[in-house]
Amino acid sequence: MRTNNRGRAWFVAGFLAPATLLYAVFVVLPVCQAFQISLYRWRGISEQKTFVGLANFQRLAGDEVFRQALGHNLAFLLAGGALTLGLAMAIAHAIHGNGRWARVIRGVYLFPQIISMVVVAVLWMFVYNPSFGILKASLQSVGLGRFAMDWLGTPGTALPAVLVTFVWHAVGFHIMLFSAGLRTIPAEVQEAATLDGADGMLRFRQVTLPMLFPVLRVAIVYMVIGALNVFALVYLMTVGGPDRRTEVMLTYLYEQAFKHSDFGYGTALAVANLAVVMALSGLAMLLLRRDPTEAKA
Amino acid sequence: MQRWIRNAALAASAVYLALGAVSCGSKRGAEKAGALNVAAFKGGYGLDFFEDAAKEFETERPGTRVKVWGNPRVWEQLRPLFVAGKPPDLTYPGWGMDHWPLVYENQLMPLDEALAGKPWSGDGKWADTFEPALLKLGQHDGKQWMLPYFYNINGWWYDKALFAKHGWTPPKTWSELLALCAKIKAAGIAPITYQGKYPYYALHGFLFPWVVSAGGIQAFDDMQNLKPGAWKSAAVIRAASMIRELADKGYFQSGSNGMSHTESQMEFVNGRAAMIPCGTWLNSEMREQLPKSGFEMAFFLPPTLDAGIGDPTNIDIGIEPWVVPSKGKNHGTAIDFYKYMTSLPKAKQFVERKGTLTAIKGSDEVKLPPFLVEPAAAFRASKAIWSVEYIQWYPKLGTASQNATAALLAGTVTPQEYAERLEAAAELARKDTETPRHTVTR
Repeated sequence: MRTNNRGRAWFVAGFLAPATLLYAVFVVLPVCQAFQISLYRWRGISEQKTFVGLANFQRLAGDEVFRQALGHNLAFLLAGGALTLGLAMAIAHAIHGNGRWARVIRGVYLFPQIISMVVVAVLWMFVYNPSFGILKASLQSVGLGRFAMDWLGTPGTALPAVLVTFVWHAVGFHIMLFSAGLRTIPAEVQEAATLDGADGMLRFRQVTLPMLFPVLRVAIVYMVIGALNVFALVYLMTVGGPDRRTEVMLTYLYEQAFKHSDFGYGTALAVANLAVVMALSGLAMLLLRRDPTEAKA
Repeated sequence: MQRWIRNAALAASAVYLALGAVSCGSKRGAEKAGALNVAAFKGGYGLDFFEDAAKEFETERPGTRVKVWGNPRVWEQLRPLFVAGKPPDLTYPGWGMDHWPLVYENQLMPLDEALAGKPWSGDGKWADTFEPALLKLGQHDGKQWMLPYFYNINGWWYDKALFAKHGWTPPKTWSELLALCAKIKAAGIAPITYQGKYPYYALHGFLFPWVVSAGGIQAFDDMQNLKPGAWKSAAVIRAASMIRELADKGYFQSGSNGMSHTESQMEFVNGRAAMIPCGTWLNSEMREQLPKSGFEMAFFLPPTLDAGIGDPTNIDIGIEPWVVPSKGKNHGTAIDFYKYMTSLPKAKQFVERKGTLTAIKGSDEVKLPPFLVEPAAAFRASKAIWSVEYIQWYPKLGTASQNATAALLAGTVTPQEYAERLEAAAELARKDTETPRHTVTR
């Protein structure tokens, strides 16, 4: 029995080792290195580094652009998150049945998620194109042509325009989460609620939503990570412009490191980004730790 | 059963490790072979010319091997190679590279000695085969660090056929421009489009030419030399007001502020906009999209102020430098190969094959493609050239000036506020003690 157990431990360890090793070398080690680099002034062009202590973080504390970028990330999280989760919940609910349209939508809702972010960005640049874009054409066809504008080039509309694309891309994944969640709710519970006279919104609020809570919690944490790490979409659609009106933490990081050859500060921004992501996802988990169905039991 | 799985897992890890070893090994193999390692940016002009030159060089110098590699983001791969001390022997890192830190951190070899030597063929100095004004752009602290190959001239473009059809002529002055824009607009075409997503183009196309026109080339040199007040000079405010005037009169294509370079250039090529500012690479960049017939891309210098004090022959040029890394293993061969590439026959061939001008004297004495005739003539006629170098010298000022320009074009700042913002950014650059200073001298 003992030898068998030891053999089993070795067996398990053998399977874990490659993944653990890879994780240590390609994830843990770089993160540790990042902490180290953020304490230096480094142009990222030779081994020449100057230790500057916490100077990069002092600069970060007073950096208006970083604050602005963080604000835009929070806009992605709050506005983008609310829209994504709301839409996803509604759509997941709508396609829960077995109607013809439900089946059609179930077949396509994941498309935006499975196409590459680069393609999504290019696609939406075409949608917004002020010369021949679909959005302009659609507005004109219903007589609202005067509302057509330079969505990505106007300081006031650039961020909302990118946000819409972000939601369009993110919603499919969350529909999938919620759809799976809805399927775990036993039909008897729903039927019982209906028999008790709880229907429509009431049943959704009192029965469906609480029973979806664990899924919702996961969705929110995903949203926090996605919204705070948005990069490719913004970089491709607006490069953070016009005049930094769509700058987010990671586009700013890229600018500092690669364009300004300030890898020390860029890495400090990465560390700050990590801290914000950890803090906000931690906060989300803390606030949502109590499962309402458990409390009532 | 368990043993079988364990053995399979062991075999899999062995294969994994072996693959790693092989991939490392093959890399070392290439280095051992002693081929000249040339890394080049793969842009609109491709790598084929350099690859062909490498093959020819191998026959010219028997026993030598040259390996040319590159891609459109080669600068991102060059950074870790420089950090690791294993840079290529010769490289053209491309526009995305922050070049000057390579000089500050001793990663490049000074080329003065090589330039004082003989060129590929004939007598005299290698240095004398280059256009001196272009050679100068690669100097710092009295040494030559970078060498030009092809160069770009910035200006405005129009479609000769479209202009002829309407009886328009390219405007030489500001008042001619305003009059023409009114006519173009009346014809239902957008007068000017631009690459608003990258304000770099508007700086080259609008702001700086008009600063040079309003205040003379000195006004622009003062800006690049970070002279206090130069970034909010009367010339800057005048140039900014001209940009606003074009915007307010509706002479810019609506929507251009958010357009990428390809989007706006498509508008121009498709005839929805009549004029666009861009460098001489425009034709090669849009080659695939050009209409099959009836489109004649042509160049003219940005219109100057009617009473401008600047010399109207002064032109805005830019180089994309080649460098010899100091930690390269093959300095002699690298320089020899670059001498071959810059020999007059090769340079002429580059002009013919790629449709762009090179920094080698006399290389434009070939049959130029029609769109290049005007730029070549403008270069020969220019009494002085200027080049936007501060974006590379002081990248933070480069970014700040581009962001401010986006705001000016969007109309969220006035010309006065714009100039204040620029001056504030220049003040930060003056106070930056970590970045070495550069000076434009005439």
